[in-house]
Amino acid sequence: MTLAINLSKISKSFPGVKANDDINLKIKEGTIHAIVGENGAGKSTLMKILYGMLKQDSGTIKIFDNEVKFSSPKDAIAKGIGMVHQHFMLADNLSVLESIILGMDKASLKILNKSKYKYEINEITNKYSMPLNTDSMIDELGVGEKQRVEIIKVLFRGAKILILDEPTAVLVPQEVRELFSNLKNLKESGVTIIFISHKLDEVLEIADEISVMRGGRHIDTVDSNSVSKTDLAEMMIGQNLPTPPKREKNPMEKKALVVNNFNAVEENGRKAFSNINFSINQGEIVGIAGVEGNGQRELAEAILGVFQIESGEIFLGENNINELTTRDRREQGLSFIPEDRQSQGLLMDMSLSENVILGKQSSSKYKTKLYNIKFNQASVNSNVVIKNFDVRTPGNETLPLALSGGNQQKFVVGREIENKPSLLIASQPTRGIDIGAQSLIWNKLRDARDEGLGVLLISADLDELIGLSDRIFVIYEGNFVKELDPEDATPEILGSYMTGLKS
Amino acid sequence: MLKTLKKNYLIFLPIAFIAVIAQVDKYDQLTTSGTFGAAIRLAIPICLAGLGGMFSERSGVVNIGLEGMMIMGTWFGAWAAWMYGPWYGILAGIIGGAMFGLIHAVGTVTFQVDHIVSGVAINILAAGVARFLNVVAYADQPTQSATQSPRIDGEVGDFTLPYLSGGGETPSLFGYLQDLDLPFLSDFAGLLLGATSNLSYISIFALTLIPIAAWTLWSTPFGLQMRSVGELPTGSESLGVNVYLMKYIGVMISGGFAGLAGAYLVLESSGIYREGQTAGRGFIGLASMIFGNYKPLGIFMGSGLFGYADALQLRSDDAVHGLLVLISLILLIISIKQIIEKKYLSASISIMLCLGFLIWFLNSETVPSEFVYFTPHITTLIVLSSASQKLRMPKKVGQPYRKGELN
Repeated sequence: MTLAINLSKISKSFPGVKANDDINLKIKEGTIHAIVGENGAGKSTLMKILYGMLKQDSGTIKIFDNEVKFSSPKDAIAKGIGMVHQHFMLADNLSVLESIILGMDKASLKILNKSKYKYEINEITNKYSMPLNTDSMIDELGVGEKQRVEIIKVLFRGAKILILDEPTAVLVPQEVRELFSNLKNLKESGVTIIFISHKLDEVLEIADEISVMRGGRHIDTVDSNSVSKTDLAEMMIGQNLPTPPKREKNPMEKKALVVNNFNAVEENGRKAFSNINFSINQGEIVGIAGVEGNGQRELAEAILGVFQIESGEIFLGENNINELTTRDRREQGLSFIPEDRQSQGLLMDMSLSENVILGKQSSSKYKTKLYNIKFNQASVNSNVVIKNFDVRTPGNETLPLALSGGNQQKFVVGREIENKPSLLIASQPTRGIDIGAQSLIWNKLRDARDEGLGVLLISADLDELIGLSDRIFVIYEGNFVKELDPEDATPEILGSYMTGLKS
Repeated sequence: MLKTLKKNYLIFLPIAFIAVIAQVDKYDQLTTSGTFGAAIRLAIPICLAGLGGMFSERSGVVNIGLEGMMIMGTWFGAWAAWMYGPWYGILAGIIGGAMFGLIHAVGTVTFQVDHIVSGVAINILAAGVARFLNVVAYADQPTQSATQSPRIDGEVGDFTLPYLSGGGETPSLFGYLQDLDLPFLSDFAGLLLGATSNLSYISIFALTLIPIAAWTLWSTPFGLQMRSVGELPTGSESLGVNVYLMKYIGVMISGGFAGLAGAYLVLESSGIYREGQTAGRGFIGLASMIFGNYKPLGIFMGSGLFGYADALQLRSDDAVHGLLVLISLILLIISIKQIIEKKYLSASISIMLCLGFLIWFLNSETVPSEFVYFTPHITTLIVLSSASQKLRMPKKVGQPYRKGELN
């Protein structure tokens, strides 16, 4: 069997970090080869080198036994390598056809031969049975379809080697099934697939061979039939894979939050959510599962008072907070972990000790009677957060942008929990962070719950939802379609409610 | 093209209204061929500036320096026209604008300067450079002045459609119909006559640039790449699009358009370079670009509105009074549209403005002359701001892009 890719002695350093250290990797033609590792293990760097986006410091790349040197992705595409990025590289304002053929022609003033391209694209979609409407605009497509566009885009350029970067991170289980069957079709017709992931179950299911990376090093390459999940996890992190273990529920009597008959309309007239009724007790975590864009974000913002509701009542503890502003709600004991820590959770250019004030800047905790800010208090409290939540930082004067995503997130979660709220809205609390930070945040959330905190958990990570929540609601098109006990829930069951297959 | 017209049928309503209002004798200037002809001449520079803005913003660079690039167009246009002849003036105007486009591109693309800061700098710089060049270039002329060029001789020539509008020595069908003074028929004949007679070749050149711009951006690989750069630079880069080059070209085309607009001002309306001649038309072009939703036809409509109002205030104070009821009617349509779309707040604002103009119209005979002068600006402002439609700006416009960075 020929080697599709043969990497030898690849090294790449960034200032202060050795991202790739002497990597040797052989990938056979016509196989699905998975590369697993924690965030920061060097997977992305290696793939960027292979795709011509970065240049290696040393080492050689051989594609089908020919040594190659890439200076841009264009060169890599020419050699038959295509990459599907985790964050889709698609412009909402272009049509599917335009997205696929972008960059195929030189930037000339000849007329684009759209009908010819359409015909060729249809041939590919038929061959691999991945249907697509070439005339739709990208923003009309769902996540799974967008991914299909990305794959077709790569195949259309004659790719023999397909790199998929965390392809399942954004998909629900049913879409994952579909993707996997597509990938198997591709493999059968001779395409080599490199599958980057940290979800070990999926990797074991789809891959023929698995390479493990840790700390910029290639640890080992194993056959997927001869390895167990635990082995892989140990290779990946040197310890067992943390999963949120289920625990006894013991919600208290007192209600932390009651929401009655919530309705809201988006700016464009579409219903954001309707007839939402639920309550959260003290000492309880209530999870909300849903495909992104089904109203869960609006719901969280409505509880926080950012998003205007049309009708409904909301009680924080005993008090009706309908008329309160967001600031008053926060002072009454509401806390919020936003889904995007960099744009909503932190001021990236201000120190951690200043960031700890955010959300409480108007309360007496950080405000003197003369409307000065208690910076000393902030400095002390930021150190408490840093210590209790194991934020790895040189000090509290460091800027968040110098920290890794996991440490930023730990700081945000720490700040919100250390404010001692009575209700915490946690929106995607562990999105895109490494396993260590993830398990710490899980433990901290659970500890806070045991001390009587009510938590509304919104997450796209279904394992996290099942592991952490005491109850799970599934939201679909703005309605709670199902309440589930996490004991009975599996990602598949949740997925079928989330996509409206079951109701 | 036809498809776009079909989709935007609403734009024909104002024309119909104008025809109705023009039935009143006092307001007959609203639809004469002279008014329409002037409207086109006044609209073209704004349209060109708007098209220029479109190229720049589609490639992701905010171009608030259009005004400055236009100033360069006026100066270089006048100078080359004076030295060598009007067509050289056009060419020099384009080159002068494009040069300042290049400066803007170097600043925003290569050195990642904030686009607004760079644009403002361009505007200030251009005013200074124009005055400096003017002093240097005409130092030995008898009419030497820091703020004016000598008068430009030579004509580009103009064109009138034969038979229909009386080009050459042929009869003029539209002229005949207009003189018949039949309701509506004569009004539309006036519109067509204005649009097809005494059009200078520069105007024709400028007007053909509208479909050419649309065709370039939407039907060629070059245009696709340029649009993709404004939407998603990283993704385009990974597909082999040269993002920096595209942005440079986009901003330079933008400057070229603005320069052409400037040269047009000099050659078509004044025959001389005068300081401050652009009078904010670059900014109005920018506004018409936003109103036109970054599309050529929309930009043409937006600039046409301004040109028309401008032509009216030049030709007849009485007609400006008629314009009041027209504004009121346009606002009424907009508010109905907004009610259908359930945007009640903006609808009620539109209705209030609509009533205000109506009351003013009914309780006055003329418009005060101070107001007449800035009717075009206020008309454009009111209509553009109430017609808050579903605007869709290029996603990454104004954001710096560094090669090799993901996100």
